[in-house]
Amino acid sequence: MGAPRRLAYALLRLVLRLAPEPSREWASAMLHELGFIPGEWAALFWALGSAAAVFRHAGRNWRRWIPQWRSNKEGHVNSKSKKAIGIASGALAALALAGSAFALLRIVDLLFPGLGIARTEWTHWFGAIVIPEAVFLAAGILLWRKRGPVAAGILLTAVAIGLHFAIHVASHRF
Amino acid sequence: MTIRLSPQTLLVIEALLSQPRQWQYGYDVSRTTGLKSGTLYPILMRMADRKLLETRWEAAEQGKPPRHMYRFTQEGLRFARANAPAPAGGSQRVALSLEHA
Repeated sequence: MGAPRRLAYALLRLVLRLAPEPSREWASAMLHELGFIPGEWAALFWALGSAAAVFRHAGRNWRRWIPQWRSNKEGHVNSKSKKAIGIASGALAALALAGSAFALLRIVDLLFPGLGIARTEWTHWFGAIVIPEAVFLAAGILLWRKRGPVAAGILLTAVAIGLHFAIHVASHRF
Repeated sequence: MTIRLSPQTLLVIEALLSQPRQWQYGYDVSRTTGLKSGTLYPILMRMADRKLLETRWEAAEQGKPPRHMYRFTQEGLRFARANAPAPAGGSQRVALSLEHA
């Protein structure tokens, strides 16, 4: 047995161990099917696709469980609270991305002080403002039709970060 | 309850419908349809969740692992025969009533 097939078995065994009860039979089915796939790399690709399928199935069961839990515990969730949750999750995702971009800049600065990132202003502008704002804009446009509240949350955060940046620049330069 | 009849789902329906009362293996369906495991299994899982597909473990032979097998339920067979011809324009959403299964 070659390395790709060994890796495929290891991956699917791990998936089987991690899979929740409703997905376990399927994970086991995919693992057992592996022995009948000719080709080392084909087996590895089979395992990768199977792992993704099991996690999607597990995620769908989890999503099914959430509304049930909510309706049991909190009663009817009206559309206003759904929108609020959407906006909050969009804003949180956007803040997480902006924070990650800023943290990445700091880490690169710490790991490679020779690059002089702390002294070059454009890297901060580009890495922490321009790229995240472009991502927010693209995500806002793409999500607007299907996930309006999430898109609104992202765009609101983009505007807030943009304003913060503009005020920061104005107060430090003029 | 709804099931999305994507082109891939229709391929799976056609493959299972070619031998409607025969149990088929996942890898064989994958080869017949040309679908990768990451596309095929979510379709099989959805169909099984909606009771369109029944699953069974093959009795293990010595030295060979048991294999999971699939075939249509009676309800699934009716559904498949009603929707097997590829519809024009990609995918469609079909209302599926399971009350009278």
